[in-house]
Amino acid sequence: MLQLIALVPLLPLIGFLINGIGNKSLSKSLVGIIGSGTMLLSFIISLGIFFELKNSEVSAHTFTFFDWINVGNFNLSFSFLVDPLSSLMLLVVTGVGFLIHVYSIGYMKHDEGFAKFFAYLNLFVFFMLLLVLGANYAIMFIGWEGVGLCSYLLIGFWYKNTSYNNAAKKAFVMNRIGDLGFLIALFLIFKTFGSISFNEVFTSAAKFTSGDPTLTTIAILLFIGAMGKSAQLPLYTWLPDAMAGPTPVSALIHAATMVTAGIYMIARSSIIYALAPIAMDIVATIGMITAVWAALIALTQTDIKKVLAYSTVSQLGYMFVALGVGSFTGAVFHLMTHAFFKALLFLGAGSVIHAMSGEQDMRSMGGLKKKLPITFITILIGTLAISGVPPFAGFFSKDEILAATYNHSMPMFIVMSITSVLTAFYMFRMLFLTFYGNFRGTNDQASHLHESPKSMTIPLIVLAVFSTIAGFVGLPEVFSEHHALKSFLSPSFVFTNGRFSFEAASHVVEYSIMGVSLVVVALVYIYAQKRFAKDVYLLPVDESKMTLMQRLSYRKFYIDEFYENLITKPLDKLSTFFYRVIDKSGIDGVVNGLGKITMNGSKNLRTIQTGNTGFYIFSMVVGIIIIMLLNFILS
Amino acid sequence: MTGIIIISLIAIVILFLGLYKLDKAIVPLAVAALLAAITSYALAWNTNIYYFNNMLFVDNFAILFSILTIATTILILLLSPGYFEKISSNVAEYVALILFSLVGVLCMVSYNNFSMLFIGIEIMSISMYIMAGIRKKDLASNEAALKYFLMGSFATGFLLFGIALVYGFTGSFNLETISTLVMESGGQAAALFVAGILFMIVGMSFKVSAAPFHFWAPDVYDGAPSLVTSYMSSVVKTASFAAFIRMFIVAFAGVIHIFTPTLWALAAITIIVGNVIALYQDTFKRMLAYSSISHAGYMLIAILALGPDSGNAIFYYAVAYSIASVSAFAILIKVKALKNSESFDAFNGLAKNNPKSALALTISMCSLAGIPLTAGFFGKFFIFTIAINQGFYWLVGLAILNAVVAFWYYFRVIIAMYMKSPSSDEKIEYGFSYKLVLWIAAIATLLFGLLPGILSGLL
Repeated sequence: MLQLIALVPLLPLIGFLINGIGNKSLSKSLVGIIGSGTMLLSFIISLGIFFELKNSEVSAHTFTFFDWINVGNFNLSFSFLVDPLSSLMLLVVTGVGFLIHVYSIGYMKHDEGFAKFFAYLNLFVFFMLLLVLGANYAIMFIGWEGVGLCSYLLIGFWYKNTSYNNAAKKAFVMNRIGDLGFLIALFLIFKTFGSISFNEVFTSAAKFTSGDPTLTTIAILLFIGAMGKSAQLPLYTWLPDAMAGPTPVSALIHAATMVTAGIYMIARSSIIYALAPIAMDIVATIGMITAVWAALIALTQTDIKKVLAYSTVSQLGYMFVALGVGSFTGAVFHLMTHAFFKALLFLGAGSVIHAMSGEQDMRSMGGLKKKLPITFITILIGTLAISGVPPFAGFFSKDEILAATYNHSMPMFIVMSITSVLTAFYMFRMLFLTFYGNFRGTNDQASHLHESPKSMTIPLIVLAVFSTIAGFVGLPEVFSEHHALKSFLSPSFVFTNGRFSFEAASHVVEYSIMGVSLVVVALVYIYAQKRFAKDVYLLPVDESKMTLMQRLSYRKFYIDEFYENLITKPLDKLSTFFYRVIDKSGIDGVVNGLGKITMNGSKNLRTIQTGNTGFYIFSMVVGIIIIMLLNFILS
Repeated sequence: MTGIIIISLIAIVILFLGLYKLDKAIVPLAVAALLAAITSYALAWNTNIYYFNNMLFVDNFAILFSILTIATTILILLLSPGYFEKISSNVAEYVALILFSLVGVLCMVSYNNFSMLFIGIEIMSISMYIMAGIRKKDLASNEAALKYFLMGSFATGFLLFGIALVYGFTGSFNLETISTLVMESGGQAAALFVAGILFMIVGMSFKVSAAPFHFWAPDVYDGAPSLVTSYMSSVVKTASFAAFIRMFIVAFAGVIHIFTPTLWALAAITIIVGNVIALYQDTFKRMLAYSSISHAGYMLIAILALGPDSGNAIFYYAVAYSIASVSAFAILIKVKALKNSESFDAFNGLAKNNPKSALALTISMCSLAGIPLTAGFFGKFFIFTIAINQGFYWLVGLAILNAVVAFWYYFRVIIAMYMKSPSSDEKIEYGFSYKLVLWIAAIATLLFGLLPGILSGLL
């Protein structure tokens, strides 16, 4: 199977080409089969690679396909690195990707851009796989930029809506800010290590002393890249806006895969971070603030997808906290479980929106439990998973992160615990507002309510199963001698293993975390049911009646307005100034002036072409005389 | 050598075909003969054989330029069915004259003796004088022929005088003998010898239309039938440059430093005059005439910066320029037939009704302007590279500035085609051979723009 590695990204690329070129001429069912089929094949190969790797002695394979750039001392080969970390990511990307492709067949059935949608989706998966498989920072960067492009295309998929286009632009621009950090980091890495291939960089980086300023700079710059792609403060505002894209896109790109690229990148570069404690602290702090900040905003959102979007930002914060305190396995673990339950929640939300004929405001929903039973149960499972109820997947991964922060710093542990209570709260609020109580929509919507087709519910069920059981790959030590995921991943963290030893939390702590989280979730459940299920508590429509906290949260802490006034408007003014003054009168003046001078020259010079042969011969003779003078008299 | 014989014989046969009214067979026969000539030259690769008591020397330089000029002639002949019958009843004479002049061209690119150079130039020029005036009843065509003849004779006089002076000093017409003498003199040269070379430079400058000896070119190019103009601006110009640079590579390499200021000034003035005057032209054809003058200026730089890569640079430039220029004239002919006008306005909205022609012309204009991904870019690139390596920074700066100026007039026609609305909905009809030429030109331009290595390492 390992030899087939090239096919893993190639298949989606082929799917993209077929669907992209055959856009108009292929039937919808064929488009769906090509789009999902290529993903399924990719997934099967990834599965084979995963098991082969698991059972083999050698843990990392590098496949070089061709020498790409050879300039001076700069050698760049187009090569893939297959190790436990990338093979796990392969499974997540192709597995969740496949399910979402299948789901899209049902969800996008009535859209005219059906083939275009699948082409973009396949292209996205191709770039994501490049990002994950690259054996050097350059290939990773190509994938990184490629997924950014696809994200842009898919957010603005319904391009006729101006605000969607603006959301797409915002995502692109914010990501560029991060990308700049990544790019500078890349240059610095090359300058420092003379190479950008992972093997060489990490081997030489391991010889540096801890706290080396160059490594710290590289780590911080890489993190700026990750902040953009993985939506951390202050570059997170594009992600909620990105919900303008079709829901499968939100599930695949803005929940399960692309936004976790930052986590993957830092986990991949773990040794650089391990030797840069300051950068680690920055990562953990930003992650923590983002986690609680986004959770607070999620509390009052009324758009079902916005709740999930802020929840994603918050959960990504969790992962960065894990990275920041050195629990790389914990971060990857949470990345994986999050991919399952967040994809599930988004697809579930999509199913609701589909049933509600496009309505996304939860204030118009309610009482959907009976009409959408499968969607309800799967969303319930997702909610339990994200809230950290044992034995659902989210519990184990979150537990591992919390245990790691407990070892690292007490205040951080407290903040993260509070955040997890907030998480449970906003998720149950969403659940109750949507599925309990009475239906609050229009009669028209009520008559259309229906459970989604099989192509949509089956992916939901599969994801629900994974959201339930995926946590068992990383059972904490209280249940099991053996942390399966940790030992599988350890070859990928060969340089950092042992640098951060977490004393396994004592059994008392472990059980109490478990107990407390169960109790808290139960309390939240009761409270939320009381407030939201009975229709008595909905957010006041009139903002003046909100409390200060409510309004801050509802208005997302005014961060968009803040950016608008502090950055966008001054930039606009500067741009206008440059356009009106520097460009129009300065540069254009010079350019047009030169042009005029040349044209006048032309006008005058062409009059020497009189058409008179005598004059021509006279000019030739003058020319000859000058040449003779030049050569014989003057020299 | 076999090539010269084949072409001469077939040209005579074609005259007979005209006599027996077998007009249909003329162009196919000519093309077949030219293909055979190309083959015979290709087979001679790396053989380096002398002919006629060392009068001709068929080395790789000669072979490359022979093949280029013959191939360009094939393209032009493929454009001629349907064109020439309209302006003259003597199709056979027309094709025969082209072939005769091509024989002159072949002598010019492989001469090893100055008398051979003179003979070659005369064979070529006399054919061209007739060709320019082949539209017997057209006043402009007659005027073009007469002007070309008068001034051409004047310039040939200088060339011949120069050859005589060089002979007087060295006692030989043979390039290699002269070269040995020059080397022995250690870079020193007597005034008589210098004057001889200067006169030869003047004569050749006229042939390549370098300023201030360029005055004939716009009038003749404009007055001659378009297909003849395209032959003049591609084959004749390529051959003249090949002859010009061969003179310096083989015979005068040892004393070129003496002529640096002269050649520098000629190149600079030619580039400026050609480009600047081209800006203000109203007709596409006249614009092409002036632009061909400026291209001569660029190619002069390669002679000025004489070195091992000069031949190659000129060859690459000539390839790019010939192909682009043939396809530009080909479309001009069709547009003129359609709109009866050669002005820029005639091209308005061409892209709407004839998108492929517009694309072909766009590629050709981009190549002439020297935009990357076209052959023209590498043509300029190689010439500028050798000039910079020899320290001609100012001249290269000036040349690049002028290349920018040239965008204005090359893009004028592109803008007309794509951004203005057409005056009528008529479509241009192309015959098979016409389409073939346009396709070959477009593909070759892009191919040599993407993979310059195909041609650049040959010399």
